[in-house]
Amino acid sequence: MKKTFLAKRNALLSFTSISWSGFALIIVILLFLVRFFAPNLFWQMLAPVFHGADSLATESHAFFSGFGNNAKLSLQNESLMNENMALANENQALLQKEASLEALLGSSTSGKNMAPEILAGVVARPPEIPYDTLVLAAGARAGVALGQEVFGAGDVPIGIISTVFADFSRATLFSSPGVRIAGWAGPANMPLTITGSGAGTMSATLPRSAGVAVGDTVFGPGPGMLPIGRVIRIDGDSSSPSVTLRITPALDLFSVSWVTVRGASVALLNALSQATSTLP
Amino acid sequence: MTRMMLACSAIISTIFFPWPFTALLALASSPVEPLLPLAVGIFMDTLYYTPSMRMPPFFVIIGAIATIIAFFVRNRIRTGIIKR
Repeated sequence: MKKTFLAKRNALLSFTSISWSGFALIIVILLFLVRFFAPNLFWQMLAPVFHGADSLATESHAFFSGFGNNAKLSLQNESLMNENMALANENQALLQKEASLEALLGSSTSGKNMAPEILAGVVARPPEIPYDTLVLAAGARAGVALGQEVFGAGDVPIGIISTVFADFSRATLFSSPGVRIAGWAGPANMPLTITGSGAGTMSATLPRSAGVAVGDTVFGPGPGMLPIGRVIRIDGDSSSPSVTLRITPALDLFSVSWVTVRGASVALLNALSQATSTLP
Repeated sequence: MTRMMLACSAIISTIFFPWPFTALLALASSPVEPLLPLAVGIFMDTLYYTPSMRMPPFFVIIGAIATIIAFFVRNRIRTGIIKR
């Protein structure tokens, strides 16, 4: 007598459908285990891959730029060179002014320049990273410690160190969702709480009467006036007493390739401990 | 071969391309490779998730949900009368 066997099937999971994605899942779980038990080794393995991705992005950008209008690019280049020269002259004048003021009033006691700086290359950055963090190629061995400030080119504060491995570290950017820092903006230096909105942007809520306008610079806590971004849009109903400022960082976070890490200022630490969840 | 290419490109794009592209690729591949969104989600959070942010591992959760939906839809289609 011939017997008929019917395959027993699970309504949710059919093992016939597990193929290459199942294989990928096993590899990914193995990588997760390496990351969990040996994070430094994990990043040492992956850092060359990220550098390769960076090089590829640079090469492809250069390739596609070749299709641009040469005359337009030349004009833009000239304009940027002129702007750069003007800014360099302005910077020189400000340095001389600072030196003469120091000579008149005595040396600065902030000790900003004496703080040891650690130069760190950026291994991975947004938009590849979805959580608005940076992976830095400097860790505990280089002197990086939890809670230190991360500065981009031009001494722009961009975040704080949130995880440290032996040779790598991770910086949480101020634009990371949920991060809040104290700052101020506008001609009257109006204090505000800046909230990370993700995708490299921040926002803040202020009373309508504060007088902050589009284009105003937003400053963060720390030694001196540290610009962290610029107001690009002001949202708010005309009947509402408050407005929401949309802030873009002073530095393009999507192309940052190196940062400096140095000791956290007392002001920033105090501000962060009150407002953010990024500190341990 | 196409499935292998889909799986490989989704995993590699986690490092080489912006995350929205990776997420789109994984979700678009889920009808043919249902476990791929989960694999990509785990890989993405393995690479980029910071526990001190006190946020849930967003991409693992989204990947798991997408995988469950993909399996459910595949099995509903397979148990239907269209293919017989």
